[in-house]
Amino acid sequence: MRRYLARRLVALVATLLVVSVLVFVVVRVIPGDPVLIIMGTEGSPEAAAALRKAMGLDRPLPVQYAEWVRRALRGDLGRSIQYDVPVGGLILSRLRVTLPLTLLAALFMAAVALPLGMHAATHHRRLGDYLAMVASQLGIAIPSFWAGLLLMLLFAVRLGWVRAGGFEGWEAGLWPGVRSLLLPALALGLIQAAILTRTTRSAVLEVFHAEHVRTARAKGLSEPVVAWKHVFRNALITIVTIAGLQLGQLLAGSIVLENVFYLPGLGRLALGAISARDLPVVQGVVLFVAATIVTVNFAVDLLYGFLDPRIRYD
Amino acid sequence: MVRFRPAACVLLVASLAFLPGVGQAQPAAGGPALTAQVTSEPPGLDLTATPASATATVVFYNVQEALAKVDQHGKLVPWLAERWHTADNLHYTFFLKKGVRFHNGRAFTADDVKFVLERARNPETKHPHPRHYEAIAAIHVKDEHTVTISLKKPNAMFLYNLARQGSVIYPREAVEQLKSQPVGTGPFTLARWDRGDRIVLKKNPDYHVKDLPRLEQVTFRFIPDPNAALAALQAGDIDVLGFGLGPESADVVRRSPSLQLILGETTNDVILALNSSKKPYSDVRIRRAITHAINKDEIVKGAMFGFGRVLGSNVDPLNPYFVDMSRAVPYNPDRAKQLLAEAGYPNGIDAVLRVAPQYPYTVRTGEVIVGQLARAGVRVKLEQIEWGQWLDRVYKNADYDMTIIGHAEAWDAGNYANPKYYFRYDSPRFQEVYAQSETTLDDARRRALYHELQKVMAEEAPVVWLYVYPRIVAAKKGVQGIWKDLPTPSMDLSEVSWAK
Repeated sequence: MRRYLARRLVALVATLLVVSVLVFVVVRVIPGDPVLIIMGTEGSPEAAAALRKAMGLDRPLPVQYAEWVRRALRGDLGRSIQYDVPVGGLILSRLRVTLPLTLLAALFMAAVALPLGMHAATHHRRLGDYLAMVASQLGIAIPSFWAGLLLMLLFAVRLGWVRAGGFEGWEAGLWPGVRSLLLPALALGLIQAAILTRTTRSAVLEVFHAEHVRTARAKGLSEPVVAWKHVFRNALITIVTIAGLQLGQLLAGSIVLENVFYLPGLGRLALGAISARDLPVVQGVVLFVAATIVTVNFAVDLLYGFLDPRIRYD
Repeated sequence: MVRFRPAACVLLVASLAFLPGVGQAQPAAGGPALTAQVTSEPPGLDLTATPASATATVVFYNVQEALAKVDQHGKLVPWLAERWHTADNLHYTFFLKKGVRFHNGRAFTADDVKFVLERARNPETKHPHPRHYEAIAAIHVKDEHTVTISLKKPNAMFLYNLARQGSVIYPREAVEQLKSQPVGTGPFTLARWDRGDRIVLKKNPDYHVKDLPRLEQVTFRFIPDPNAALAALQAGDIDVLGFGLGPESADVVRRSPSLQLILGETTNDVILALNSSKKPYSDVRIRRAITHAINKDEIVKGAMFGFGRVLGSNVDPLNPYFVDMSRAVPYNPDRAKQLLAEAGYPNGIDAVLRVAPQYPYTVRTGEVIVGQLARAGVRVKLEQIEWGQWLDRVYKNADYDMTIIGHAEAWDAGNYANPKYYFRYDSPRFQEVYAQSETTLDDARRRALYHELQKVMAEEAPVVWLYVYPRIVAAKKGVQGIWKDLPTPSMDLSEVSWAK
């Protein structure tokens, strides 16, 4: 186990190093000059040159990279060009929105997909199954931004139950904060819930035909015990693998929904930083997201051992 | 078989989630407040470091002010300078308004004017427009409230340049904090900037104009998506949708009993720029052919739902020297084909039209133009590129055939006199008339020169001026005092109030 952990840790560091080089090079290679974006169409070339020098963008790329990595290792991700504040603090402050949003969406995803998928599997080729499949097909087909707008029109404009968007902040209390994240979390989780419903259904169906299930039934176990203890648990390996990948997709999907619902989260920060060519912020956010996804995948791997005692990490 | 009841579970979760009792926008404690939407977040709040209109929208006129001001009718009026005087058009003496205080409590004096203008002139301070202060030879402080500015030679734009967003007056001691905490003399002070979310301004109780501002607090929320912004207005989360309401949504607002629609003019000229340094666009016949092939009325109808005014030159209708040149090169596809043939292209030409979808109107306009030009034998491929790329490829390196963009800066004929500008339009005739207009101060003479300028532009067709982007503001009923027209990029809220 210890050797396994050490190996994974080395892989994690290597991944981050590769990501750091990639993002550093990519944001500098794509057309679009940060100075030009700050100055817009009205600035003079002299002013642009002065600004480029002040931002250190006139130095050779490897020098800039080395400097960035040296600082990043000390926990300093640089200063945002656009906001003039440290990138690290900026990312942390945005996590206050994105983390709960992603978690809520994941919760919604699990709360809908697991029962619905299970229901479809246990009612295979019956009305409940067909309805669940039609619903999940719809969920996959509706783009999240559109779902977001529809939810906004219904719950905020028509019914007036929630605000159309924006984030009220946690200072006002837990409920106002959660409330402002409900619609975006719903829209964000919709597609993933639909995908997970289908995954759960097929994973469960597969196990239902396994021999140990027949044995369990033959032993005279009640159907709920068979379904939960012998079928669901065995189907979980597939479900957890897909759900782990979906967490990364939820994080990525937040970019779109944070813009639709104008939430000050990480996704919106990333998008704004890319269009403003706020290089330190883009680098910081990508690095952070990469680290998160690698860590989540790692956690999923560890979960396998817990779910299936036959799996060992030596 | 086990019976799960997922539908019941979902309903239960949903009903928990949407517990009633969710409040609508609350007014700030202690007085009337207003929440306005803006499309983009400012890239920093220092008007002396960025020319971004997103910064001007929030900061200019609301937080910081200049010696003179362009009012809502486009007229230049004295502001922090009570009046000015010149006998020879070379030495201007400004008499500053007394009793004006900066937000930090210190009195505004002539020394501040000298400091601010000298700093703007200094290329090392990275002011985006040092050329606006090039004409200044010396600044002499006579006493606390009198300052004389001497020019190298007479300059017709001098006073106007002092009213621009880059000429705002701030206290010398606050230079370092301008980017995130600007200090000025305006009707509001900056209370909070929640990055990525909102900017909150509070009333300046010591404002130098009596009885203003009328609002206690103003919040600017950054909502980029036009549909989300409209939904926020309909849901009551915001009071004013200042920018970014698409013309396609105007009718929804007009029909709503709780909303009002404000329509006006802007200085934002939407153009189809042609690359004059590139064949065949270097040939004036080709440029005129393209102009003849474009039906501007149809564009306004098709791409702008009928909003916007057809344009014929770079001078916008809010400019006092405006002449309507929109019919100077009329829509005439036969004439276009004839000109193409005369220029040696009887079979037409192929072109790429680059637009940035960050500005949806450029894409819609482009789609209409592609169809129109095809009828005249100009086969155009529409290519959408991201804004950063547009700035780099089209604007900086003039790597394009055609592009569509709005130019919001007023009084920008100088761009056409600059052969390095991305139009790459190099006309000695135009440059000469423009140079004369720069040093002519007699109003009648200057007007004549501006008319001449517009005539030359229409004839030489360096770009196709399409339409003036309309000002379309949606607000809750009861909001009053919002500027109808937009002669500057600011969203001046000093006189805005709620009807009793």
